[in-house]
Amino acid sequence: MIETENLKKTYKQGSLKVKAVDNVNLEISDGEFTAIVGPSGSGKTTLLNCIGGLDDPTSGNVIIDDEVISSYSSGQMIKFRLNNIGFVFQSYNLIPVLTAKENIEMVMLMQGYNKQDMDQRSSDLLSEVGMSNMSKRRPAELSGGQQQRVAVARALASKPKFILADEPTANLDSKSTAKLLDIMSKLNKQENITFVFSTHDQRVIDRARRVVTLEDGKIIKDIKK
Amino acid sequence: MNLITLIKIGWRNIWRNKKRSLVVILSIVLGLYGGLIISSLMITLNSQRMDTAINTYLADIQIHDKEFSKEYSLSDTISNIQYLEEKLKQDNRVKAYSKRVVINGMLSNSTGSYGVNVLGINPETEMKVTNVYTKIIKGDYFESERSNTMVVGKKLAEKLNLKLRSKVVIAFQNVNGDITSLLFRIEGIFKSGNGMFDDYNVFVKNSSIFSNIPDLKSYHEIPILTVDGGVTTNSLNESLKLDLQKINNTLDVKSWDEIAVELAYANQMLGSFLYIFMLIVLSGLSFGIINTMLMAILERKKEIGMLMSIGMTKIYIFLMICFETVFLSLVAIPFSLLITYITIDYYSVSGIDLSVVGSGLENFGVGTILYLKLPIEYYFNLSLLVILISSISSIFPAIRALKINPVEATKSI
Repeated sequence: MIETENLKKTYKQGSLKVKAVDNVNLEISDGEFTAIVGPSGSGKTTLLNCIGGLDDPTSGNVIIDDEVISSYSSGQMIKFRLNNIGFVFQSYNLIPVLTAKENIEMVMLMQGYNKQDMDQRSSDLLSEVGMSNMSKRRPAELSGGQQQRVAVARALASKPKFILADEPTANLDSKSTAKLLDIMSKLNKQENITFVFSTHDQRVIDRARRVVTLEDGKIIKDIKK
Repeated sequence: MNLITLIKIGWRNIWRNKKRSLVVILSIVLGLYGGLIISSLMITLNSQRMDTAINTYLADIQIHDKEFSKEYSLSDTISNIQYLEEKLKQDNRVKAYSKRVVINGMLSNSTGSYGVNVLGINPETEMKVTNVYTKIIKGDYFESERSNTMVVGKKLAEKLNLKLRSKVVIAFQNVNGDITSLLFRIEGIFKSGNGMFDDYNVFVKNSSIFSNIPDLKSYHEIPILTVDGGVTTNSLNESLKLDLQKINNTLDVKSWDEIAVELAYANQMLGSFLYIFMLIVLSGLSFGIINTMLMAILERKKEIGMLMSIGMTKIYIFLMICFETVFLSLVAIPFSLLITYITIDYYSVSGIDLSVVGSGLENFGVGTILYLKLPIEYYFNLSLLVILISSISSIFPAIRALKINPVEATKSI
């Protein structure tokens, strides 16, 4: 379970203090398919960054499965992220010099998988995201949608507790978006993987089973479908 | 994560921007090539200078009487020379030896006078030890039946306007301290490749000295060529030197590097100098490497941010950048070594003609044709130096990579 407890994040912009996340208390249970929505600057991304341990909260706590991760050291946090969180980025961020399969295996290599297990898992993941026949292609040889599917497979590679996806469909056409959402939805239902998105995309919002709306860093609406 | 993956990523990363990487690689190739060729030139110059000295006069080992080494007095000859000669003939480490009378005197003709070192030699044995006979540019090397003939250096000949068969007078202090003058005819003029040697040394036959100075009973100098001689002081020379010293404690046995200390010192200094020189050249090159790597990191800020986000540790990020930097030099080094080897191999046979600066080189003690050579350890050591410099160059870009904030770099998670 993901919990935030009185989470605050304040940025300084010159002499101004901007409250990007303002006293957010949120609980996301295992297996949820949650979209965090809101206008630009509402604090969606900052909230996800804090949950993912990429950004330190100004105050409050982030608790994952009863562990207060916001108190972790930098080294502990890197290790935690590697083993517990999968990330999907808006612009895919695949390593251009590695093939689709190698991009997925990279995370497992960091975790110390042996070659055989790694090979098996990366093949399975590519199959799950419908990219088996493109395993040897490099990112430049894939479309945006295909790259994002590989990115989802990479996020799943470490067997994370949950996946944080920041605007994962922002750069995709509707066909690719639909396919990606199908894949993520299937993984969520079949393997009970928790997905948390930040998004503007109505197509994602429509598919989400919970929609948390932020405005000026505060939760103004939390709808479970 | 294992190192092989990091190495694989590093290797592929350097080819992401081929043009930029090739420019850096080319600069390393040329930098190392230039350094190796300069090293080769310096080593060749020094080596030829020492070779010239050893081959024209020094030989590998010289024996003098201890007193002669101090005063250069005509009376301080080598004692019990027959016994010494027997030992030298029996010793299989000795390739050849000669005997010389050494007189410091004043050479005069109608043009003027000049202080010279007169070397009284037996031409037949001297030819086995030194190569002045091959350096004759005018006349002959003691082929005349006449006894009082002299072979002089080109420089001295020019200075005193000496022609073949012209007469010169050598004045010197004899064994009794009286001034003696001997008349000689110029039989040959040599050009050894060492202007200073040619300017100061003249050769005459032993017989002409002994017939004119009856009080002189023996020789002053025995130059020895060993079977394993040459510019490098070796154990054979050292052991022979020690054994000869034991024969008679009045003997002063010295190897070439003890006699020509300045040559040996220059040889020792050269190695250190070349490494310092290369260090300076490659340090300049390192700025190019650093700049390229910083640009590469700037381009891949997002990617590095992503790697940090998904859990790549700082040490792996650091190593990845270091590997990339070192790979640039590892690609460059073989090309550099290859073209250096080809260049040196070619000029080791055909030689580089530096006759345009010939007079300067002769003053330095080197001939005008340089036959390049470079000891194999220089290829190895300078390559290691390049790797070391590029490793050091990788530290700054790698530290910059570690400072990337993953949140800012990826814009969002």
